[in-house]
Amino acid sequence: MSETKQSMLTITKLSKYYGKNHVLKKVNLNVKKGEVVCIIGPSGSGKSTFLRCINLLERPSSGSIFYQDNDVLDGKWKTNEYRQHVGMVFQGYYLFPFKKVIDNITMAPRTLKNKNKAEAEVEALELLKKVGLADKDDVYPASLSGGQKQRVAIARALAMHPELLLFDEPTSALDPELVGEVLRVMKGLAEEGMTMVVVTHEMGFAREVANRVIFMEGGYIVEEGAPEEIFGNPKNERTREFLARVL
Amino acid sequence: MDLKWSEAIDGLGPSLLQGVVVVLQATIISFILAALVGLLIAMCRLSKWKVIRGVFVVFVEIIRGTPLLVQLFYIYYVVPLLLNHLLASGGTQPNIQFTALSAGIAGMTINYGAYISEVFRSAILSIDTGQKESGLALGFTQLQVLRKIVIPQALRNSIPVLGNYLVMMIKDTSLLAVISVSELLLRTQTYASQTFQTIESYTILAVVYLILSLPLAHIMKMIEKKFHVEN
Ligand SMILES: Nc1ncnc2c1ncn2[C@@H]1O[C@H](COP(=O)(O)OP(=O)(O)OP(=O)(O)O)[C@@H](O)[C@H]1O
Ligand SMILES: [Mg+2]
Repeated sequence: MSETKQSMLTITKLSKYYGKNHVLKKVNLNVKKGEVVCIIGPSGSGKSTFLRCINLLERPSSGSIFYQDNDVLDGKWKTNEYRQHVGMVFQGYYLFPFKKVIDNITMAPRTLKNKNKAEAEVEALELLKKVGLADKDDVYPASLSGGQKQRVAIARALAMHPELLLFDEPTSALDPELVGEVLRVMKGLAEEGMTMVVVTHEMGFAREVANRVIFMEGGYIVEEGAPEEIFGNPKNERTREFLARVL
Repeated sequence: MDLKWSEAIDGLGPSLLQGVVVVLQATIISFILAALVGLLIAMCRLSKWKVIRGVFVVFVEIIRGTPLLVQLFYIYYVVPLLLNHLLASGGTQPNIQFTALSAGIAGMTINYGAYISEVFRSAILSIDTGQKESGLALGFTQLQVLRKIVIPQALRNSIPVLGNYLVMMIKDTSLLAVISVSELLLRTQTYASQTFQTIESYTILAVVYLILSLPLAHIMKMIEKKFHVEN
């Protein structure tokens, strides 16, 4: 049952040094269109750094990143234009506090895609509905709960129509009772076929939603495979130890 | 003691009204220019080029390390001399002079610009990197992030301090008397020395300053409230 899907992201031998600290060690990753890849691993293993290298918030020290068929590191494609195709959702939401929810969402498409205000707002309202916040368009982020902020952050990223979405521990800053509402939105996106790379500590989410789970430690990808394999029958000793600790 | 209040009010009042116009003119123009200069200096101090940063560090330190009074004298008396000297060539002797008011506005602009640049600089630096990164991740360029995300917030966060500076500036226009700008103090001095109504004149002067600065302080508080955004 091998269907060949179009490749979205191909990362080869990606390394990252912070000074002498070797944080990513020749990491390879291939993400196909519509795939959901979850990255798990202990603190400090390089998960965030890896994710941030993908959209070039961090500059890789060596290796290559191909987005569809474009070499993102060869300098021909402007970084800001590349990033318009790759959305990112952060642990800390980082909404723009001086703008109302609706303006948080419309700001990028209006500026970067020359959408007019009315058009952008119609779409923003649809996105808000999609993340379950249809009535929150006219408030400032400060009045929202963490879970609501994170859902607005997802809507804000979606407003640019990214083909790939990166999530860096989107629920780690949330009170436990708010985690579910964010995960549900993410699951909905996955079901719609959004390509996603998700760094997470939510093993339940990874098991249920991921097509592939990657276990990182010490800057290496130690093991990767289908969630049933990783959670049900991990081959690597390190993976087993990690899962024993977190599950 | 025989105080001639109504005589002093009648005699000094009209002149002080004209003085108020001068004060408002000097304050408003200087404040706007100082805010622009301050923003410009702040950006230069955050530039990636070391030389530019260095130049403006030195500039700000010079301005902050010398009194506004001395700066006013310097601009009014020394700068024209230097310019005339520099521009003199082949027998032609230029005769550049500043009006007292324009020298005063220049002095206040530069002085307050230096202080305001520090306010803006720290406000810009205090914007969370996460916000800049989320802007970048959306596809904004560095410059767009600065213009659309960082600076608007930095300006908002600076409003309370800027309000204080505006009130200080109104009061500092009294320093312009020393370079012969006919603002309030100079007019009062002239009147008092002619009429010997010293107590009345200077009391009226103090009241006029209060009338100018108290409502302004109040207005600034309201603006502050309006633009305050919780994080
Ligand atoms: N900007 C930086 N400068 C220097 N070192 C850094 C920087 N960012 C991360 N590191 C180091 O790189 C290593 C990997 O960090 P990273 O944040 O990628 O780990 P992580 O797997 O995301 O951890 P966590 O689960 O705690 O988020 C750590 O040792 C960290 O100290
Ligand atoms: Mg991390």
